[in-house]
Parts: sequence; structure tokens; C-alpha cells
Amino acid sequence: MVDIWNIVILNPMLNGLIALSEVCFKNFGLAIIVLTIAVRLVLTPLTVRQTQSTKAMQLLQPKLQEIQKKYARDQQKMQQEVMKLYKEAGINPLGCIWPMLIQMPIWIALYQSIMQALAATPENLLMLSQHLYAWDMVGNAIPLNEEFLGLRLSQPDPTLIFAILVGVTMWVQQKMVTPPPTDAQQQQMSSMTTLMMPLMFSFFTLSFPSGLALYWVVSNIIGIGIQYIVGGGWGYFTLPFLKPRGAAPGTKSSQDVKALKSGNEKKKG
Amino acid sequence: MIKTKKYVNIILILTILLLVFVAGCSVTGGGGCSGTQAQGWSGFTVYKQDLCFGSMEGKVIAIDPQARTDNKTFPADTEWVYQIKTSSPGAACGPMCSPSSSAAGVGIYDTPISVDDLIYVGSYSGKIYAINAVKGMIRWVYPREGLDTIGAIVGNMVTDGKSLYFGSSDSKIYSLDAVTGDFNWDFQTSSKIWTGPAIDNGVIYAGNYGGDIYAISADTGKQIWSIKIPSALSSPITVSGDTIYFGTFDRYLYALDKATGQEKWKITGGNWFWAQPLIAGGKIYAPCLDQKLYTLDPASGQELWEFTADAPIVAPAAISGNNLYMISDKGTLYKLDAGSGALVNTNSVEFTVYSPIYASGDMVYVYARDHNVYAVDTAQSTIVWKFSSYLK
Repeated sequence: MVDIWNIVILNPMLNGLIALSEVCFKNFGLAIIVLTIAVRLVLTPLTVRQTQSTKAMQLLQPKLQEIQKKYARDQQKMQQEVMKLYKEAGINPLGCIWPMLIQMPIWIALYQSIMQALAATPENLLMLSQHLYAWDMVGNAIPLNEEFLGLRLSQPDPTLIFAILVGVTMWVQQKMVTPPPTDAQQQQMSSMTTLMMPLMFSFFTLSFPSGLALYWVVSNIIGIGIQYIVGGGWGYFTLPFLKPRGAAPGTKSSQDVKALKSGNEKKKG
Repeated sequence: MIKTKKYVNIILILTILLLVFVAGCSVTGGGGCSGTQAQGWSGFTVYKQDLCFGSMEGKVIAIDPQARTDNKTFPADTEWVYQIKTSSPGAACGPMCSPSSSAAGVGIYDTPISVDDLIYVGSYSGKIYAINAVKGMIRWVYPREGLDTIGAIVGNMVTDGKSLYFGSSDSKIYSLDAVTGDFNWDFQTSSKIWTGPAIDNGVIYAGNYGGDIYAISADTGKQIWSIKIPSALSSPITVSGDTIYFGTFDRYLYALDKATGQEKWKITGGNWFWAQPLIAGGKIYAPCLDQKLYTLDPASGQELWEFTADAPIVAPAAISGNNLYMISDKGTLYKLDAGSGALVNTNSVEFTVYSPIYASGDMVYVYARDHNVYAVDTAQSTIVWKFSSYLK
């Protein structure tokens, strides 16, 4: 299983990344940025679909809550009504899960590629030898030039800059897609998820090679960009100086759902 | 609604798995998900009857093979252990490493060398230690101050008997007085140095990860010549006659004229020539990570014979008498006829081996990644003893 993973996914991406660093003026930091952008562009259709499905699901929340209240004592009826609602809106509840599942192996491979290519220790460098193709481009690039913007990409960032950047970008991305909580329990859950992930990744950044932190920051920024374009603005993320580009989410749910439904019907037609 | 909750749960579980995955990687000290910490792969040096080596726990250990054969309690008679302190942040440490953290990386890659009654070893945490070979007491440390370090030392040191020469991850080649540890000179190169230099007739030959090869005067630290090659050095340099030999990351084994740096010949392998080429009996023995040992004519680079092992060969070969010993990274020890390459026999320590082996007569000493030193009697095909460097 490990061999299949290495041959089919990891090795091509790893060698591609190393060859790319040779093309990018022997600059591995630039190669990380270019590859992250390229992978995100390739995966854009999936990301867009995931974003749209998530948004559609969120727009249905008031309706779902109504059904939940109305059929609180009849679970079977409630399920039927929920499925009916999904069908009317033209939403597949799995729509936001499959794109994410398909993307995960690619992200893990990209993540592993960066970690392995950086070869932070002599042991890692030795292990890298078993993953490389016999390309001159790859041979000439190894060991990679790890200097980037005054950082050593194989070492953790000695300043807190990357930790803050990772945390902030991840938090913004989370806030854009997290609807305002409707009750205390939801608020607690929402705070947990939107704060814990950025904090944990910020913490990891302090002990991980900064090359990986660079990948996280770039990936988050692209994610915010896609979310902004597809979601029609900053979504649920609000700051005093940020005015929502589209309608405030959750305020016109029935109209939005109708619009979504009509959009889906048009697509089908 | 219930189904929606299930999907939310799936997302949460996947997120948690991802976090566990990421957290699992952090345990490796930033070394990578499938990687390891900087543990080192020191080989052996001999002082009188003792074998001295750097352990993967950051200790310098002297063991007496006879005492081990007799199964005496360690340390017996002339044996000793010196623990390198982990007080310096080292080269592989970020802001999360506290000064006393063991994650600082005290791995020892440098095979110790001895001059008179001192054993010298360089550590990955960026210090050089001179240890009394009789008692195992520290004589001097460089840099002198407790928290001062130079870059991580990965390549071997060399000596001409009065000075020590070594490269460092801070891109410099250093010369220290062997007796006092006083600084003689340093030479700034263009990139970090993870492979050992060679010394011959007062000239140091060293290469860095920028693909630069330098010849430097051992007395003054002044450059004699330098050349740039397309790829960086993957192996330490070996010097013999009027030629220097080394492997590169583009899978070549080079032979350069030691007076000018001009290329004499190069051959290609199926992977990196990682181990230091061994020259003996008019032949070059060059182990390769493509699982082969290439035996070449030093003058022309023409292949005389090759031997294929069961796994990549990380450790350099060793000669004893007419026999050539080499070990694969799976721990299979091969005894070959040094002249013809005919296989005499095989033994196994059944564990990964990266460290250089030491051969004396029919005995071969192997330090494996399971932290054990194995004494293999290749005549009897038995493991006579094994010694754990954990020293619990």
C-alpha cells in the first residue's frame, strides 16, 4: 500500500517539486508557492463545488430548523421532510464531502513532498534518495537551496511571523464559512472549531520547517481568494471596515434557496 | 437533519485524523512524516584495544571487545562513556526547543578520530569534543562557551596529527589545534558542508552543497584552487595518489586531478554514491545506493567487477586481509574476495545499518539502528556478542 502511494502519488509530486525548484532559479520557496498555486488551480472545480454545496447547505439552515421544530417528535417524518427539502433545492448532502475527500490525498502528498524534499536531517536526505527519479534536473537541484526571504526553509521560523500568518489566514478562512451561531451550544462549538484549528496550526508552525508554514500560508490565502470569489464576498467574516459584497448570509434564505433551485434547474435543463 | 449531523461528524473525524497526522509528524522533530530525528551514524575508531564510537543517544563510548566477549559488566577495565550535553539549541532547533531539550539533536555522524591519548568527535549540535581516551574525561570543547555552537557537524573530521580539520553546516571549514583546541583558521565556502574533507600533503580537499570543491592549504587556510561541478557532493572525499574521488547527487562518481581540480573521469551509477569510496590494492570500491558495489580501476574509472546487495549500501566498505566487507542497509553483511569479488559468505544483524563498519581479521563490528553494536565472527558466521548503546 505504501509502495503504491509512493509510486503513484508521492514520487511524481516530490520529483515535480524538486524539478520546479530548478526552474524557479533554484529557489525552493518559490517552487513551493508555484506548486501550491498550481495544485489549487487544478483542484479549483472541486473547491468551487465544495464551497457552493457548503453555502447551499448553510442557506437551508433556517428551513431545516423549522422542520426540526415542527417534527421534533416524529423522526421519520422529519427525515422525509429534510430529504424533500434537499431534493427541492437540488442539493446533494454529500456534495460538500466528496470534493474534500478527493482533495485530501493530494494535500497529504503535497505536504509529504515538501517535508521530504526539505530533508531537514541527514537521515531524511538519505531517505530522499529512494524517491528520486534519475533526472539531471532533480540530481542538480539536490540538496535544495533552503534559503528564502532570510529564512532557512528546513528549520522552524525563529520569529513568530509565520506562526501568526498561518493562524490569522486560517482563522479568516474559517470565519468566512462559519455561520453565526443560533444558540449557546452552537456558539461553543463554533468558537472551538474556528479558534482551535488556527491555534493548533500556529503552534505546529513553531516546531515545523518553515517551508511547510509557507505552504500553509499560501494555501490559506488562495482558499480565502476562492471563497471570496465563489461565495460572493467575505461571507460570515466581518470586520468594521469590511462591507459584505453580496447579501448578508442567512438573512434572505428563502430567496437564496429559490435562486439556487432555479440555478440548479437551469443547469439540468 | 440526523444525516446532516452524520456528515458533520465525518468532517470532524477527518479533521481530527488530519491533526493527528500532522501532530505525528511534529514528533519527528521537524524531520518529516516518514523521517527520523537526527540520530547520527558514527563509525568506530580504535584506541589500543578499545573501539570508540558515537552513539545515537549522543554518547561517546569506548568498549573493549574482549570484555564484551567475556560478558563483563560495562564499563570494565579500560571502558568508558562520555555523555555529550544537550545544553545547546543546536542546528535543528527552532523556538520551541528549550535549551535543555533533547530535541536539540545531539546525534553523532562523525566517526571519532584519535591522536595520541585524545579522542575527537564532532556533534550535530555544533561542538567539537576532545576526550581523554584512557579515562573518558573531557579535555576541551570547541567553541569554548557553553551555549556557543558552530553549525551542525555531519561530515568526518581529518587530522594531520597536529591539527583537526572539518566542515560545518555554517558553510565553513575549520582548523583547530589538536592539543589545545585553539582556533587556527576558518575558510568560508558558498554553502553548507555535510560531507567530510580529505587531507594529503598539507592540502585539505573539501566540497559543499553548492557544488564547489576546494583545495586549501592546511597551514594557512588559503585557497589553492576551487572548481564548480553541476551537482553537490553526496559522499566524503577520498584522496589517493594524484587524484581525489567522490560521489555527487546527480549519480556520478568523479575523479579529479588533486593539483588542479581538472576532471579525469566520471562514471554513473543507478543512484547516489553516498559512502566514501575505499581505495586499496589498486582498486576503488565504491558502494552505491542502487544496491551495487562498483569496483573500478583508479586510473581510468573502468569497471573491474560489481556486486549487487539485497538493499542500498549506505556504509562504506572495509578491508581486512584479502577480504572485503560491505553491509547493506538491511543489515546483510557480505564477505567478498577483495580481488575477484567472489562471495565468501553472508551474515546478518537483521536491522538497518547506516554506520561505517570496522573489520579486524575475521571479526566485523557493526553499529545498527537498533542501537546495538554487533560483533560478527565471519569465519564462524556467528554473532559473538551485542552491546546496547542505551546503557540502561
